[in-house]
Amino acid sequence: MEHGFTWFSLLPFIADDPERQLIFTTIFIAAVLFIISAKVFNSIKKSPNPLIPPKKLSFQNFFELVIQATVNIMKDIIGHHAEKYLPLIGSLFVFILFCNLLGLIPGFLPPTSNLYTNGACAIIVFLYYNYQGFKEHGIKYLKHFAGPLIYLAPLMFVIEIISHLFRPFSLMVRLYGNISGDHAVLAIFSGLVPLVVPVIFLVLGLMVALIQAFVFATLSTVYIGLAVSHEH
Amino acid sequence: MRKWRTAVMVIGLMLLISSPVFAEEGAAGAADGSMSKGLIGLGAGLAIGLAAFGGGLGQGRAAGSSLEGIARNPGAADKMFVPYILGLAFIESLVLYAFVIAFLLRTKM
Repeated sequence: MEHGFTWFSLLPFIADDPERQLIFTTIFIAAVLFIISAKVFNSIKKSPNPLIPPKKLSFQNFFELVIQATVNIMKDIIGHHAEKYLPLIGSLFVFILFCNLLGLIPGFLPPTSNLYTNGACAIIVFLYYNYQGFKEHGIKYLKHFAGPLIYLAPLMFVIEIISHLFRPFSLMVRLYGNISGDHAVLAIFSGLVPLVVPVIFLVLGLMVALIQAFVFATLSTVYIGLAVSHEH
Repeated sequence: MRKWRTAVMVIGLMLLISSPVFAEEGAAGAADGSMSKGLIGLGAGLAIGLAAFGGGLGQGRAAGSSLEGIARNPGAADKMFVPYILGLAFIESLVLYAFVIAFLLRTKM
């Protein structure tokens, strides 16, 4: 989709290539997140008693909130041992959230409105949950694909493989469609009425950004939970 | 779970089958101009319109019955939140497939 002015188009070398701009935006977000988390890590390490929250509102509060909420939801879905999968799910959530939120600032294109960024995240989730499934069950993990009845296994195997391959695809398309659609709606309405009216769509965009990051993280958790669950 | 799985599979099969059709459409469009372009536009509009119609009905049902559930038992609202959002996401993803198809059709114009 064509985009008007972007701040990154002022930079040399990436000015007239939108894909290079998107890659640069993604690296920019990753760098910002890296710096923030290093700062938070240091401030927790230095504080005499890390259990006491800081006096003022800081990134530490934000990260504590996000991690607490993520762990709670993961425990609801996976059960115990959920913290094992926190590094991937938590970083996916924060990364996608920041990418989505960047789209709300005028002059920035959200990296998640591109299929390739989402595809990378989705493929990582796909490989990760299969890896965790094999790690948890060994070769018996393949039983998950075979269905309940042994004579139906050849049929179920094909169906399950297709359904598993569709998971990363639907993760990718869902994020792409929501964010680029939301961005397009915002662009159209701010083109029609430049004042006041776009605020409604900015609020909508804020909700979409939060919910889509949440949905991506929750679905990844559900997939991991299905892969590592033990049937009783 | 099984329902959305079959729905996704049907959409996937349609995607698989429809790619050669799109290719033929594109070749025909190059040959005889405006009529096929109009048809592509119509197809794109119909695709996203019908998908939004069905998705709207589905999400309306989901939201309605979850509100009913919350009205009967407000304490369950927290537990219902995650499955509710996930259900909406699954319904919505079908609409988004249609959005992607409409978008692909637009690039053929």
